[in-house]
Amino acid sequence: MPEFELEPGEHVVRQARKHWFLFAVTLMPYAILAVIPFALPGFLRMAPPLAPYAPYLTVSEPLMRVALGIWLLAVWTGAWSAFTRYFLNVWILTNQRIVEIKQPAYFNRQVSSLLLSRVQDVTTHVIGADASFLGIGNISVQSAGAVDEFHMNGIPRPEEMRDIIMKYVSEKAGTNTSV
Amino acid sequence: MPDQPLQPFAPPTAVLSHLPVGIITPGAAVMWILFAVFAIWAVYTLIIIYHWLKYSHASAVALPSIGIHLFISVALMAYALSGTILF
Repeated sequence: MPEFELEPGEHVVRQARKHWFLFAVTLMPYAILAVIPFALPGFLRMAPPLAPYAPYLTVSEPLMRVALGIWLLAVWTGAWSAFTRYFLNVWILTNQRIVEIKQPAYFNRQVSSLLLSRVQDVTTHVIGADASFLGIGNISVQSAGAVDEFHMNGIPRPEEMRDIIMKYVSEKAGTNTSV
Repeated sequence: MPDQPLQPFAPPTAVLSHLPVGIITPGAAVMWILFAVFAIWAVYTLIIIYHWLKYSHASAVALPSIGIHLFISVALMAYALSGTILF
Protein backbone atom coordinates (compact mmCIF):
# COMPACT_ATOMS: atom_id res chain seq x y z
CA MET A 1 0.00 0.00 0.00
CA PRO A 2 1.55 3.34 -0.98
CA GLU A 3 2.18 5.63 1.93
CA PHE A 4 0.05 8.32 0.36
CA GLU A 5 -2.18 8.36 -2.67
CA LEU A 6 -3.09 11.22 -4.92
CA GLU A 7 -6.67 12.39 -4.78
CA PRO A 8 -8.72 12.72 -7.97
CA GLY A 9 -7.52 15.79 -9.81
CA GLU A 10 -4.35 16.00 -7.74
CA HIS A 11 -0.94 15.91 -9.36
CA VAL A 12 2.62 16.34 -8.16
CA VAL A 13 4.02 19.80 -8.84
CA ARG A 14 7.50 19.46 -7.36
CA GLN A 15 9.64 17.23 -5.20
CA ALA A 16 12.37 18.69 -3.04
CA ARG A 17 15.15 17.15 -1.02
CA LYS A 18 17.89 18.74 1.00
CA HIS A 19 20.52 20.57 -0.97
CA TRP A 20 23.25 18.32 -2.39
CA PHE A 21 25.90 20.35 -0.57
CA LEU A 22 24.41 19.41 2.80
CA PHE A 23 24.49 15.77 1.77
CA ALA A 24 28.12 16.11 0.70
CA VAL A 25 28.91 17.48 4.16
CA THR A 26 27.38 14.40 5.76
CA LEU A 27 29.66 12.26 3.59
CA MET A 28 32.84 13.98 4.78
CA PRO A 29 33.31 11.74 7.85
CA TYR A 30 33.10 8.66 5.64
CA ALA A 31 35.69 10.08 3.27
CA ILE A 32 38.03 10.75 6.19
CA LEU A 33 37.49 7.25 7.56
CA ALA A 34 38.26 5.77 4.14
CA VAL A 35 41.55 7.66 3.90
CA ILE A 36 42.76 6.84 7.43
CA PRO A 37 44.21 3.36 6.65
CA PHE A 38 46.30 4.81 3.82
CA ALA A 39 47.51 7.82 5.79
CA LEU A 40 48.18 6.03 9.06
CA PRO A 41 51.56 4.46 8.15
CA GLY A 42 52.89 7.87 7.20
CA PHE A 43 51.73 9.41 10.46
CA LEU A 44 53.24 6.56 12.47
CA ARG A 45 56.62 7.08 10.80
CA MET A 46 56.55 10.71 11.84
CA ALA A 47 56.18 9.77 15.51
CA PRO A 48 59.39 8.01 16.69
CA PRO A 49 57.74 5.97 19.48
CA LEU A 50 55.22 4.56 17.00
CA ALA A 51 57.48 4.31 13.93
CA PRO A 52 58.39 0.61 14.53
CA TYR A 53 54.74 -0.31 14.06
CA ALA A 54 54.40 1.36 10.65
CA PRO A 55 55.75 -1.65 8.67
CA TYR A 56 52.89 -3.80 10.03
CA LEU A 57 50.38 -1.60 8.19
CA THR A 58 51.13 -2.82 4.71
CA VAL A 59 48.89 -4.50 2.17
CA SER A 60 51.59 -7.07 1.42
CA GLU A 61 50.39 -8.88 4.55
CA PRO A 62 47.21 -10.92 3.84
CA LEU A 63 45.81 -10.13 7.26
CA MET A 64 46.21 -6.42 6.64
CA ARG A 65 44.41 -6.80 3.32
CA VAL A 66 41.55 -8.51 5.13
CA ALA A 67 41.40 -5.73 7.70
CA LEU A 68 41.57 -3.02 5.03
CA GLY A 69 38.86 -4.69 2.99
CA ILE A 70 36.56 -4.98 5.99
CA TRP A 71 37.25 -1.37 6.99
CA LEU A 72 36.47 -0.03 3.53
CA LEU A 73 33.39 -2.24 3.28
CA ALA A 74 32.04 -0.84 6.54
CA VAL A 75 32.79 2.74 5.49
CA TRP A 76 31.23 2.25 2.07
CA THR A 77 28.10 0.65 3.54
CA GLY A 78 27.78 3.53 6.00
CA ALA A 79 28.09 6.07 3.21
CA TRP A 80 25.49 4.28 1.11
CA SER A 81 23.20 4.17 4.11
CA ALA A 82 23.64 7.93 4.52
CA PHE A 83 22.71 8.45 0.88
CA THR A 84 19.64 6.25 1.33
CA ARG A 85 18.43 8.26 4.30
CA TYR A 86 19.09 11.51 2.40
CA PHE A 87 17.14 10.31 -0.61
CA LEU A 88 14.15 8.96 1.34
CA ASN A 89 13.59 12.30 3.10
CA VAL A 90 11.55 14.39 0.69
CA TRP A 91 8.98 17.14 0.47
CA ILE A 92 6.30 16.71 -2.20
CA LEU A 93 4.23 19.65 -3.35
CA THR A 94 1.03 18.81 -5.15
CA ASN A 95 -1.64 21.17 -6.41
CA GLN A 96 -3.65 20.43 -3.25
CA ARG A 97 -1.22 19.84 -0.38
CA ILE A 98 2.33 19.65 0.87
CA VAL A 99 3.53 16.21 1.92
CA GLU A 100 6.55 15.83 4.16
CA ILE A 101 8.19 12.41 4.32
CA LYS A 102 10.75 11.97 7.07
CA GLN A 103 12.95 8.92 7.47
CA PRO A 104 15.03 9.61 10.59
CA ALA A 105 16.06 5.94 10.81
CA TYR A 106 15.21 2.61 9.25
CA PHE A 107 11.77 1.32 10.21
CA ASN A 108 10.97 4.83 11.44
CA ARG A 109 9.02 6.81 8.88
CA GLN A 110 6.75 9.79 9.27
CA VAL A 111 4.44 11.14 6.57
CA SER A 112 2.63 14.43 7.11
CA SER A 113 0.25 16.33 4.85
CA LEU A 114 -0.76 19.96 4.97
CA LEU A 115 -3.63 21.09 2.79
CA LEU A 116 -2.82 24.21 0.79
CA SER A 117 -6.26 25.57 1.68
CA ARG A 118 -5.03 25.87 5.30
CA VAL A 119 -1.79 27.69 4.50
CA GLN A 120 -1.73 31.20 5.91
CA ASP A 121 1.86 32.26 5.45
CA VAL A 122 5.05 31.02 3.82
CA THR A 123 8.38 32.42 5.06
CA THR A 124 11.83 31.77 3.67
CA HIS A 125 15.12 32.04 5.58
CA VAL A 126 18.50 32.18 3.85
CA ILE A 127 21.23 32.73 6.41
CA GLY A 128 24.92 33.03 5.70
CA ALA A 129 27.14 33.74 2.74
CA ASP A 130 27.59 30.09 1.77
CA ALA A 131 23.83 29.49 1.90
CA SER A 132 23.26 32.60 -0.20
CA PHE A 133 25.77 31.58 -2.85
CA LEU A 134 24.60 27.97 -2.96
CA GLY A 135 20.90 28.79 -2.78
CA ILE A 136 20.20 26.89 0.44
CA GLY A 137 17.45 27.98 2.77
CA ASN A 138 14.59 27.10 5.05
CA ILE A 139 10.88 27.51 4.53
CA SER A 140 8.33 27.82 7.31
CA VAL A 141 4.72 27.19 6.35
CA GLN A 142 2.23 28.66 8.78
CA SER A 143 -1.15 26.98 8.77
CA ALA A 144 -4.50 28.14 10.07
CA GLY A 145 -3.63 26.64 13.43
CA ALA A 146 -1.62 28.34 16.15
CA VAL A 147 1.56 26.33 15.55
CA ASP A 148 3.80 26.11 12.48
CA GLU A 149 2.96 22.94 10.63
CA PHE A 150 5.87 22.55 8.30
CA HIS A 151 9.51 23.39 8.23
CA MET A 152 11.57 22.63 5.16
CA ASN A 153 15.17 22.96 6.20
CA GLY A 154 18.12 23.03 3.84
CA ILE A 155 16.18 22.95 0.58
CA PRO A 156 17.57 24.39 -2.65
CA ARG A 157 16.10 27.61 -4.07
CA PRO A 158 13.64 28.27 -1.23
CA GLU A 159 12.30 31.43 -2.85
CA GLU A 160 11.28 29.47 -5.91
CA MET A 161 9.52 26.88 -3.78
CA ARG A 162 7.80 29.63 -1.81
CA ASP A 163 6.50 31.24 -5.01
CA ILE A 164 5.16 27.94 -6.27
CA ILE A 165 3.43 27.23 -2.96
CA MET A 166 1.85 30.68 -2.89
CA LYS A 167 0.73 30.29 -6.48
CA TYR A 168 -1.21 27.15 -5.68
CA VAL A 169 -2.44 28.57 -2.37
CA SER A 170 -3.87 31.52 -4.30
CA GLU A 171 -5.47 29.18 -6.81
CA LYS A 172 -7.05 27.20 -3.99
CA ALA A 173 -8.29 30.40 -2.37
CA GLY A 174 -9.76 31.53 -5.65
CA THR A 175 -11.46 28.18 -6.14
CA ASN A 176 -12.89 28.21 -2.62
CA THR A 177 -14.35 31.70 -2.92
CA SER A 178 -15.83 31.27 -6.37
CA VAL A 179 -19.56 30.90 -6.49
CA MET B 1 50.17 -7.90 -8.04
CA PRO B 2 51.28 -9.19 -4.60
CA ASP B 3 54.98 -9.87 -4.29
CA GLN B 4 54.51 -12.91 -2.07
CA PRO B 5 52.74 -16.24 -2.66
CA LEU B 6 49.15 -16.07 -1.47
CA GLN B 7 48.69 -17.66 1.92
CA PRO B 8 45.32 -18.17 3.56
CA PHE B 9 45.17 -15.64 6.37
CA ALA B 10 48.75 -15.90 7.52
CA PRO B 11 49.18 -13.10 10.08
CA PRO B 12 52.51 -11.49 10.84
CA THR B 13 54.66 -13.68 13.12
CA ALA B 14 54.75 -10.94 15.76
CA VAL B 15 50.96 -11.17 16.08
CA LEU B 16 51.13 -14.97 16.37
CA SER B 17 53.29 -14.72 19.47
CA HIS B 18 50.56 -12.82 21.30
CA LEU B 19 47.77 -15.29 20.52
CA PRO B 20 46.83 -18.01 23.05
CA VAL B 21 48.22 -21.37 21.97
CA GLY B 22 45.83 -24.29 21.29
CA ILE B 23 42.56 -22.41 21.84
CA ILE B 24 41.93 -21.26 18.33
CA THR B 25 44.04 -21.01 15.24
CA PRO B 26 44.59 -17.60 13.69
CA GLY B 27 43.06 -18.75 10.41
CA ALA B 28 39.89 -19.95 12.13
CA ALA B 29 39.63 -16.71 14.09
CA VAL B 30 39.92 -14.64 10.95
CA MET B 31 37.38 -16.89 9.22
CA TRP B 32 34.79 -16.41 11.95
CA ILE B 33 35.41 -12.68 12.03
CA LEU B 34 34.80 -12.58 8.29
CA PHE B 35 31.60 -14.59 8.66
CA ALA B 36 30.36 -12.14 11.28
CA VAL B 37 31.26 -9.10 9.19
CA PHE B 38 29.60 -10.45 6.08
CA ALA B 39 26.51 -11.49 8.00
CA ILE B 40 26.15 -7.99 9.44
CA TRP B 41 26.74 -6.53 5.98
CA ALA B 42 24.09 -8.81 4.46
CA VAL B 43 21.46 -7.92 7.05
CA TYR B 44 22.21 -4.20 6.74
CA THR B 45 22.12 -4.36 2.96
CA LEU B 46 18.81 -6.23 2.93
CA ILE B 47 17.26 -3.65 5.23
CA ILE B 48 18.43 -0.78 3.04
CA ILE B 49 17.32 -2.52 -0.16
CA TYR B 50 13.90 -3.09 1.43
CA HIS B 51 13.61 0.63 2.12
CA TRP B 52 14.71 1.54 -1.40
CA LEU B 53 12.15 -0.77 -2.98
CA LYS B 54 9.30 0.18 -0.70
CA TYR B 55 9.76 3.89 -0.13
CA SER B 56 11.59 5.29 -3.13
CA HIS B 57 8.34 5.60 -5.10
CA ALA B 58 9.79 3.66 -8.03
CA SER B 59 12.56 6.20 -8.43
CA ALA B 60 15.01 5.73 -11.27
CA VAL B 61 17.79 6.10 -8.72
CA ALA B 62 16.82 3.02 -6.70
CA LEU B 63 18.07 0.14 -8.84
CA PRO B 64 21.31 1.84 -9.96
CA SER B 65 22.03 2.73 -6.34
CA ILE B 66 21.51 -0.86 -5.24
CA GLY B 67 23.56 -2.16 -8.15
CA ILE B 68 26.48 0.16 -7.43
CA HIS B 69 26.43 -0.77 -3.77
CA LEU B 70 26.48 -4.50 -4.51
CA PHE B 71 29.23 -4.11 -7.10
CA ILE B 72 31.52 -2.11 -4.83
CA SER B 73 30.76 -4.34 -1.84
CA VAL B 74 31.58 -7.53 -3.76
CA ALA B 75 34.77 -5.93 -5.05
CA LEU B 76 35.85 -4.99 -1.52
CA MET B 77 34.99 -8.47 -0.26
CA ALA B 78 37.03 -10.00 -3.05
CA TYR B 79 39.92 -7.73 -2.16
CA ALA B 80 39.68 -8.68 1.49
CA LEU B 81 39.69 -12.39 0.65
CA SER B 82 42.25 -12.47 -2.10
CA GLY B 83 44.29 -9.32 -1.78
CA THR B 84 43.71 -8.48 -5.43
CA ILE B 85 42.24 -5.12 -6.48
CA LEU B 86 39.66 -5.86 -9.14
CA PHE B 87 39.54 -2.31 -10.51
